[in-house]
Amino acid sequence: LFNERVYEQHAAYGVNPQDRHWGTPYPGTFLLDEHGTVMEKRFYQSYRERETGAGLLVDGFHAESSIHDSEVRSGSDGVSVRAWLDSGTYRYFQRLRLSVELTIEPRLHVYGSPIPEGYIPLSVEVAPIEGLVVGSPELPEPHPFQIDGLDEQFVVYEGSVLITVPVTFAKRDAGDQVMHVTARYQACSTTDCLMPASVTLELPVRAEAQVASAAQ
Amino acid sequence: MTTQPPSLPVIDFDTIGPAVGTRFPDVRLPDQRGQTVDLHAARAGRSALIVFYRSADW
Repeated sequence: LFNERVYEQHAAYGVNPQDRHWGTPYPGTFLLDEHGTVMEKRFYQSYRERETGAGLLVDGFHAESSIHDSEVRSGSDGVSVRAWLDSGTYRYFQRLRLSVELTIEPRLHVYGSPIPEGYIPLSVEVAPIEGLVVGSPELPEPHPFQIDGLDEQFVVYEGSVLITVPVTFAKRDAGDQVMHVTARYQACSTTDCLMPASVTLELPVRAEAQVASAAQ
Repeated sequence: MTTQPPSLPVIDFDTIGPAVGTRFPDVRLPDQRGQTVDLHAARAGRSALIVFYRSADW
């Protein structure tokens, strides 16, 4: 694929021939619907960044992922928490998808944002690892909830909640890692609240061997 | 004093290549066995991912 036409195309992309990245192809993906229409284009400003196959299927086509290489589970009273990566291995600059799912017992809810002061909304945090770039957690839309006797407006999650977080290992030769993922929330019913919970799960992820010529 | 690496140009991917909402072009290319594959015929009315990759092992 590396011919003059490709170089011309890269010039069209605005890559300067003097630039050290001249001639570097950008990976990317087009998502087509059943009519062959482009639904979405997924290209990133860094040519090094790319997604996993499983992540594309789940995120792009909402496919149910059955690939939970490194699923871990924990929880607290009334709520179970599980977390997994769409790949149990990572490559330098490959964009992984971290999923954290809460299963909330019937008659309980956890709060979403925005929330009145003094309450604890659901959040997910990944502990820093050198070279690990953590994107913004994506939470589903919570639904409005009214508690008898209170004037405050609440939004809550009930049942099952799936939070996803894009993560990228941007440090070469970082080796195998363990990600510490913490979910914070408070589960309540319409009459009582349980103690605020902070559940930390340890997710191992192995480094995939790099091809020397491509590890730029 | 530190030297910052040169920054890459910002690319507007929205304006390059087939646009969102348009039909992906007809593509007929040989596969690894030399057989011509017609993208839209091979899709047979199903969704598809068209993945451009730097190399098979990266």
